[in-house]
Amino acid sequence: MSAIDHYINDIIVRGAAEAREEGSAATEAHHLLLAIAAVEGTAAYRVLTAAGLGRQAIRDALDREFEHSLDAVGVSLASYDLPKPFRDPKDHPEPGASARLALERGFAAAKGKKDLRPAHLLLGVLSAGVGTVPRALALAGVDRAGLMDRVEETLAHESW
Amino acid sequence: MLAEHVPVPQGPADALAAVAALRRLADQLEDAAVEQAMRAGWSWPEVAEGLGVTRQAVHKKHAKRLIAAGVTLRRRQ
Repeated sequence: MSAIDHYINDIIVRGAAEAREEGSAATEAHHLLLAIAAVEGTAAYRVLTAAGLGRQAIRDALDREFEHSLDAVGVSLASYDLPKPFRDPKDHPEPGASARLALERGFAAAKGKKDLRPAHLLLGVLSAGVGTVPRALALAGVDRAGLMDRVEETLAHESW
Repeated sequence: MLAEHVPVPQGPADALAAVAALRRLADQLEDAAVEQAMRAGWSWPEVAEGLGVTRQAVHKKHAKRLIAAGVTLRRRQ
């Protein structure tokens, strides 16, 4: 397997772990974003951290989006205090619709397999205009278009 | 908990996101509630009836996780 194959596999496995921790039946795009922010040594990681979007900052932004979306229909997350359910470490949530779309968009952003790099995957996740990721970033005050510009700039200058 | 006056989502994006968030919250509540019930000795048919789904559906969705959690499950009746 090539380096990018290993990276994609790593992101999907880490994304599945994020989904499992959240109790999600599927790995979604925001789980891939958390995974991309957790793997050091890539331009994607550097762009995210330079924008103040480390893994924990993204997790916090996603939690705020969840609370905000529930609040829109009058549901207060703080009102629920059930015990945290057990998560089976052997459970591997498969990629859901938003994750598959993010991967497809990432692949389409590259000029073929040889050009495909981690930053393309990040572009694929960031390019969604609707859904959890853009809402979480907007709530966190992140300029998504500007972030995508910076990712594209790194693609022109950085090999990985 | 529902507020006294349920606010109406401002637009389609908020409304759709609210649906997604409610589904996620419902899943989390179900995981916690089923685990709580089974730890308290409820049977699969009782939990299924409480959720309004079939016994097979609740067993398929939760049995593996609860066995891995070490919960002593009552035999299916």
